Amino acid sequence: MTETLVFAIPSKGRLMDRTLAVLEQAELYLQRFGSSRGYRGEIKGLENLEVAFMSAGEIASALRSGRAHLGVTGEDLMREEVSAPEACVEFVTKLGFGHADVVVAVPKCWLDVRRMRDLGEAAIQFRRLHGRRIRVATKYMNLTRGYFTRHAISDYRLVESLGATEGTPAAGTAEAIVDITSTGATLTANGLKILADGVILKSQANLIASRTARWDPETRAAQNQLFARLQL
Amino acid sequence: MTPETAQQFRALEHQAHDLMNFFCEVGYEAVAPSVIQPADIFLDVVGEDLRRRTYVFSDTDGAELCLRPDLTVPTCRLHWQRCTQNGSSTLARYCYNGPAFRFQPADASTAHPREFRQLGIELFGDKNKERADIEVLHLIVEALRRAGLRQFRIRIGDLGIFQDLLSVLDLPARWRDRLRASLWRPDTFRDELRRLATQPDASIEGLPEALVVALRGCDAKAAERVVTRYFDENDIELIGTRTLREIVDALMSAIADAEADALPAETVRLIELYFDVKAPARAAGARLADLMQENGVDIAPALALYQKRLKLLTELDIDVATVEFSAEFGRTIQYYTGFVFEVLAEPLGERSPVAGGGRYDNLMRMVGAKVEVPAVGAMIHTERLLSVVGDGGRRD
Repeated sequence: MTETLVFAIPSKGRLMDRTLAVLEQAELYLQRFGSSRGYRGEIKGLENLEVAFMSAGEIASALRSGRAHLGVTGEDLMREEVSAPEACVEFVTKLGFGHADVVVAVPKCWLDVRRMRDLGEAAIQFRRLHGRRIRVATKYMNLTRGYFTRHAISDYRLVESLGATEGTPAAGTAEAIVDITSTGATLTANGLKILADGVILKSQANLIASRTARWDPETRAAQNQLFARLQL
Repeated sequence: MTPETAQQFRALEHQAHDLMNFFCEVGYEAVAPSVIQPADIFLDVVGEDLRRRTYVFSDTDGAELCLRPDLTVPTCRLHWQRCTQNGSSTLARYCYNGPAFRFQPADASTAHPREFRQLGIELFGDKNKERADIEVLHLIVEALRRAGLRQFRIRIGDLGIFQDLLSVLDLPARWRDRLRASLWRPDTFRDELRRLATQPDASIEGLPEALVVALRGCDAKAAERVVTRYFDENDIELIGTRTLREIVDALMSAIADAEADALPAETVRLIELYFDVKAPARAAGARLADLMQENGVDIAPALALYQKRLKLLTELDIDVATVEFSAEFGRTIQYYTGFVFEVLAEPLGERSPVAGGGRYDNLMRMVGAKVEVPAVGAMIHTERLLSVVGDGGRRD
């Protein structure tokens, strides 16, 4: 049986709209199987290629495991999904949309904390005075750990936060946060500021290829066909 | 190297049985702490860095638990529970044997399995620290010999020497804190040293000039008023759990630091030369003494303790010529506070010692003790040991 190339595309929102726009520019038109709400489809004129609609987070995990050969998702989600992404995926090209920075932010009133090393010092002071580590709320557990380790900060605890992360310092459930921002307005509105060297990642949507998916001559050919149309 | 066959498992069990018997004979009580531990305490003790290598999960009630990444922390918890519940003495000797679990990257060598059996001893509450250090090292070496290990090297280190060196050097307390905090990341530590030597005034970089001027010379109360006014003028709200006092204190010491002289080049050089020391134990002792004398630094007490340990080792019939001192060794493991050692055997490489341990005087406090309880312990990688000595190593 021949392997079909699975191309994972965001299933909703701006990320989906912009992805479809990029494809349409290359005169690639998507057709969903079955009802128009279906989660599978194909691209007219491309053989041996199946489109899978998934959430951006699922796409990162499908690329890691090899359930998808190709996918469009945020670099932030991909780097959060695996600690060393280069081993299992290849970032083929940046797509120029879905821009968001993953940043470290602290309360504006922490005048003494302007850089990561100040945060490290405040964390030591906090632990000494409060008897516990500062809590950093985030959904980017892996990215945060990696970045804090690089800056030799160890006196902190991660608190997993899946929504309204920017409100946690004011609510008293965390002392600092790591979150995405595009304009910084939400952070400011919540009394937070980004550290001068606190940008962990400047992320955008990427076309990503999985190294762990099953690649055979048929799927390679399908990939080449798609890349040729996209002028990659 | 995790045993996959019943035969391998039996061989490991036999070896462990003999080792545990030996430790019991010499007065170490066998204990079996739980495999599943509250994640909270572990994460607080070991920090996020080991967390990424710890299997953390939630149970149906939402409690955060983990598979123990080592047996030292569970043994500390068990000991502290006994001390508080039964009023037991803080002086105690324990031995244990059981599985521990750590995430390993996909490319880890077979000497680093994610599930491994750790067999070890812990000695709590002994105030004669050097004697206790050497007791633990000696018993581990003795146990390895009994298991059939003939050829090995011992590496020692001592984080206490660096702590003493840091406290006698003339530098602001905050700089000391900073150097201590980055000790476990050698690259960051080096950058920090260089920075303190070249541009210490960077501590106020990015602060509004007017604010710094207004704060200079203020006492704590006045400084709080200045900062509160600054908040009002700039529409900044005091949010979060850190208090105004804490923020102001940190600001004031940053301002004080900016006026301190840069760290002298000789001091930087001395610290760098210290970490370069790596030599057979006796030669290293002499080198350390020379280095301190040349630089007019007096850490005689720490050096005397170093010599005391060598003397104790010799008395216990451990050939000091097989012992190497490395000043670097131990600094990357965050919970050690003093003497550290490891036992290396061929063909396992430098990164896979058959046994290792050290002093961790802060750990009992982290699991709840209200006072410092001196503690030293060590563990044997039983799978690695068996792979070196094979079944033939067993003495019946």
